[in-house]
Amino acid sequence: MSATVIPETSGGISTASAMRRNFWRGVWRVMRRKPSRLAGAVILAGFVVMAVFGPMFYPDNLPGDANAITRPPSWEHWFGTDPQGRDVLALVITGSRYVLLSAAVTALITVVFGTGLGLFSGFKRGRWDTVLMRVTDMKLTIPGLPLLLVLATVWKFGNPLQMGLVLGLLGWGGVARAVRAQTLSLRERGFIEAARGLGLSTGHIIGKELLPSMAPYIAMNMLIAVTGAVYAQVGLFFLGVLPYESNNWGVMLNLAVFQAGAMITPYALGYLLAPLLAILLLTLGIVLVVDAMDEIFNPRLREE
Amino acid sequence: MAQPETAPPQTAPAPVPAPVTPAPGVRIDGLTVVYKTTAGELPAVRDVSLTLEPGTITGIVGESGSGKSTLALSLLNAVQPPGRIATGSVEIDGLGDVVGLAGERLRKARGAHIGYVFQAAQNSLNPLKTVGKQLLDLGRSHGVDDLRGLVREAKELLGRMGLDGARVLDSHQHELSGGMRQRVGIMLALVLNAHLVVLDEPTTALDMITQANILKIVREVHAERGLTTLVITHDIGVVAEVADRLAVMYGGRLVEQGPTREVLGAPRHPYTRGLIQAIPRLVGDIDEARALPGRPPTLATVPKQGCVFRERCALRMDICETDDPAALADGPRIVACHAVGVKERA
Amino acid sequence: MTVIARRLAGHLARGLVMILVVATISFFIVNNIPGDPMAARYEKLIEGGMSPEAAAQAVKVLYGFQPTGSLWQQYTDYMGGLLHLDLGVSVSRPGTPVLDVLGEAAKWTVLPVLVGTLLSFLVGVILGVFAAIRRTSKLGDALAISGSLLHGIPQYVLAMLLVVIFATLIPILPADGPVDILFEPGFNAGYIGSLAEHAVLPVVTYALSAYGGWVLAMKSSVVTVLGDDFILAAELRGMKRSIVFRYIARNAILPLFTILALSLGLLLGGAVFIEKIFNYPGLGLMLINGVNDRDYALMSGAFLLITGAVIVANIVADLFYSTIDPRVRSGEEAA
Repeated sequence: MSATVIPETSGGISTASAMRRNFWRGVWRVMRRKPSRLAGAVILAGFVVMAVFGPMFYPDNLPGDANAITRPPSWEHWFGTDPQGRDVLALVITGSRYVLLSAAVTALITVVFGTGLGLFSGFKRGRWDTVLMRVTDMKLTIPGLPLLLVLATVWKFGNPLQMGLVLGLLGWGGVARAVRAQTLSLRERGFIEAARGLGLSTGHIIGKELLPSMAPYIAMNMLIAVTGAVYAQVGLFFLGVLPYESNNWGVMLNLAVFQAGAMITPYALGYLLAPLLAILLLTLGIVLVVDAMDEIFNPRLREE
Repeated sequence: MAQPETAPPQTAPAPVPAPVTPAPGVRIDGLTVVYKTTAGELPAVRDVSLTLEPGTITGIVGESGSGKSTLALSLLNAVQPPGRIATGSVEIDGLGDVVGLAGERLRKARGAHIGYVFQAAQNSLNPLKTVGKQLLDLGRSHGVDDLRGLVREAKELLGRMGLDGARVLDSHQHELSGGMRQRVGIMLALVLNAHLVVLDEPTTALDMITQANILKIVREVHAERGLTTLVITHDIGVVAEVADRLAVMYGGRLVEQGPTREVLGAPRHPYTRGLIQAIPRLVGDIDEARALPGRPPTLATVPKQGCVFRERCALRMDICETDDPAALADGPRIVACHAVGVKERA
Repeated sequence: MTVIARRLAGHLARGLVMILVVATISFFIVNNIPGDPMAARYEKLIEGGMSPEAAAQAVKVLYGFQPTGSLWQQYTDYMGGLLHLDLGVSVSRPGTPVLDVLGEAAKWTVLPVLVGTLLSFLVGVILGVFAAIRRTSKLGDALAISGSLLHGIPQYVLAMLLVVIFATLIPILPADGPVDILFEPGFNAGYIGSLAEHAVLPVVTYALSAYGGWVLAMKSSVVTVLGDDFILAAELRGMKRSIVFRYIARNAILPLFTILALSLGLLLGGAVFIEKIFNYPGLGLMLINGVNDRDYALMSGAFLLITGAVIVANIVADLFYSTIDPRVRSGEEAA
C-alpha cells in the first residue's frame, strides 16, 4: 500500500500568536453577548478603587457616636451603627483595604510560586516533576482552614501583608497544577519541540510563547485561589481566634454576631448584613469574571 | 423451522427470512448540508448527487474539511448540530428517503439497516463496559429476542476476522489494539444483518500491516455477505485497494466520480490530477511527485459562487469565477469542471 | 487485584508520611507558642509545691512530652504517644483524655456532614445533567448561574443568612446547639424530634454550600462525555435513548465519586464555621475551642484527626475509583 496521504491540517508555531490575537477578540465577543460579565469586571474594579482610595476619606480612628449605638439603618447611617456608634458603611470601606491588600499579596505569591513550579515541573518532567507534584498533592491534602486555625496560635496576622503571605504560601497548589497540566499539554502537541527546532531559547519559549497562551489559565486559577483566600481570612477573624487589632470585615462579622447579637436582635442586622453584602458582591464579581474566562478559554462549554 | 407437510408444495424449501435482503442501492440527490456559524449558515456539502449501486464498494476521497464525513453522516440522517440537511434526498432501498425519517423509525434504521464503522483511533466503545455487554445493549435496542444467537453471530464474525470472539467480547475497549477495535466496530455494524455499511476512515491511525489486513477483511466480508459499502478516506491508496467506484470531494462538492480504475488511470478534473501527481512512486524520480499548491478551503473560505477549486487550479478560466460547473456525465464518469467541458466539446 | 493491593500500599505509605508531617507541624507549633505555656505551667506546678519530677510528669500528661530535655527527646516522646493513640489530656476539661473528647465530638460532625453532602450530591448531580443537556436554554443558564453563585458564596455567609432568615426574621427553626436541653437524652420522641429540628439548618447549609459544586462538576463532566465519540457511535448504532443516557450518566458520574469521597473528608475540616455558628459541639468547634482556650492537646488532637480523615477519604476515593473504572482496575493509569 502506498503512503499517499493528503496532508491533514498541520498545526504550527504560529498558533500561539494567533491564539493571542484571537484572545482579545474572544474577550470582547463574550463580554458583548452577556453584559452581566462586564458587570463582573466593573464590580471588581469598584472594589479595588474602594480599597485604594476609600480609607483616605476617613480618619484613622473612626468617630463613634455614643448616642447612636447599634442603630438600624437610617438616612444618616445607611447600614446603621455598631455597638460603639460608628458608621457601619465607613467600617466596611476602611475594612476593605485589609481584605483586598492581603488578597493582592496572596495573588502575587500564588502566581509567582504556582507558575514557577508548574512550568519547572512540566518542562523538566521526570524525577523533579514527580517530587514537586507529590509535594503539591500533600499540600492540597492538608486541610487549609484547620491548619490556619492552628497557625493562629503562633501568628497574630495583624498585618495584611503577613496574612497574604501565609495564605499565598498555602494556596499556590492549584495554580501549579494548572500550569503544569497546560505545559504538558502544549508539549504533547509538539509545541515545545517545534519551538526548539526553530532554534528558540528556553527563555524565549517560556516568556514569549508559553506564558502568553497560558496567562488566562493562570489568571483563572489565581482568581479562584484569591477567592478562597478572602473567605479564609474573613472567616478566621470571624471565628474570633485572632485579636481584633485590625479593622476588617471578618472582625465586623464576629462582633456583629457574637457581641451585638445580630442573629438574634434585628437591631444589629445592618451591622451584620453590610460585610455580608460586601463579601457577596465581591463573590459575584469574581464568579462573573471567572465565568467569562471559562467561556473564552473552554470552547467546549461555548454556546453556539 | 421445519413444517414440511402443511406448507404449500410450490414453495418447497425456501429459506425463511422473508425477502432475501439483497444489497440495497442508495441514491443521493441534490444533497446540501449547512452548518450554522456566526457568519450565517455555511454549506459543508453542496448539491451532491451520488448513486451507490447495489453490491458495490464506493470510495469517497477528500482532504479533511472537504465534507466527506458530513456526507457519510447524511446517509444515516445523523448530521450533528449545528449542522442540518438543508435540501436533497437520500433514497435507500427498503428504507425510502432517510432525510424524512425521524424518531424511532430512524433509530431502528441505524444499526439494523445501515452499519456505521468509526475510525479506529476514535473511541467508539463505552470505556466502562465490555464489548459483550455493549453487544447485548445493541440487541436489546433493536428488539432482538434471541440474544444468545446474537452473541453466537458476533463470535462467528469476530472469528471470521481472525479474532478470538469469546475473549474479545469479554474485553474492555482499552484492552484492545487499534486493529482489534476496528474489527469490533465492523462486527457491531454487521451483527444486526445490515446490508449497507459506511466505513469512516477505516485505516487511519493503524500501522501498515493492520491496514492491509483490515482492507482485506472489508473486501472479503463485503463479498461474502452481499453488502453495499461506502468507504470514506483521505488516502487514495485505500480507495485504489478496495473500491469499485471512486468519488472525489473538494470544498463540499463532488468534483469527479467514476470507476476507480478509469479515474485513477485517466483523471479528468484538475484536482484529481493534482492528487494523483502528488503521489510519490516507488520507481522513478521523487521530483516527479508534485504537491498541489495552496491550501484546501475551510467552511468559511469556500467561495460563495463559481468553482470551489479555482484558487488552486491551473486551468482556471473567466467563467470559473462566476459559474459553478455542473456535474456532467460521460458514460460511467461524471466530472464537474468548465475546462473539461470545453475540451470535450472542442 | 494485585494492582489494587499495590495502590493501597502506596497510599498507606503516603498517608503515614502525611500524618508524620502534620504531627511534626503541630508539635513545633505547640513547642514554639509565644510565652512557652509548657514552661510556664511547669514552673507554676513547682511553685505550687510539686517536685520537679512530678511536675514534669504532669506536664507530659497534658502536652504529650516532657517540658525538660532536648528538642529531639520531646519530639520522640510526642510521636511515641501518638503511636499509642495518646493525644494527651484536655486542659479545658480537666482530666478528660483528648481522644474521648474528640470521640464524643465526632458524632456531632459526621452525621450532619454525611446527610448534607449526600443530599446535595443527589440533587446536584441530577440538576447538573439537566444543566448540561439544556445548556443552550434559559433553564440551563439559570442552573449554571445558581450553581456558580452558591458555589462561590462562603459557607459561613450562607449559614448566617439562613439563621437571619429562618431563626430571626421568621423564627421557625432553632439555630442554637444540637438539641433542646429540656428533653431527656435517650430514645424518646421529644429528644429525637428536637435533634432533627436542630439539625435542619446545619444540614441545609452543608447541602446548599456543596450543591453548587456538584451542579458545575456534573455539568462539565456531562458536556465532556457528550462530546465523546462513543456516544455518537452508540446513537449511530441505533441504541435506545435510555441506554445512551445510561452510558452518558455512568461515564460522567465516575469522576464525581472521587470528589464525593474527598469532600466528605474535607468537610470534616470545613465544619468549623457551621459548628461555630450553630453552636454544634463537633470536631470543628473543638478545634476552635482548643485554639481559643489555648488547650493545645485538644487543638493538635482535633487537627490530627481532621487531617487523618482527609487522608482516609483520599484512600477510600482512590480505591473506590479503581474498583469501578475498568481502566484503572486492569493496571492502566487513567490519563
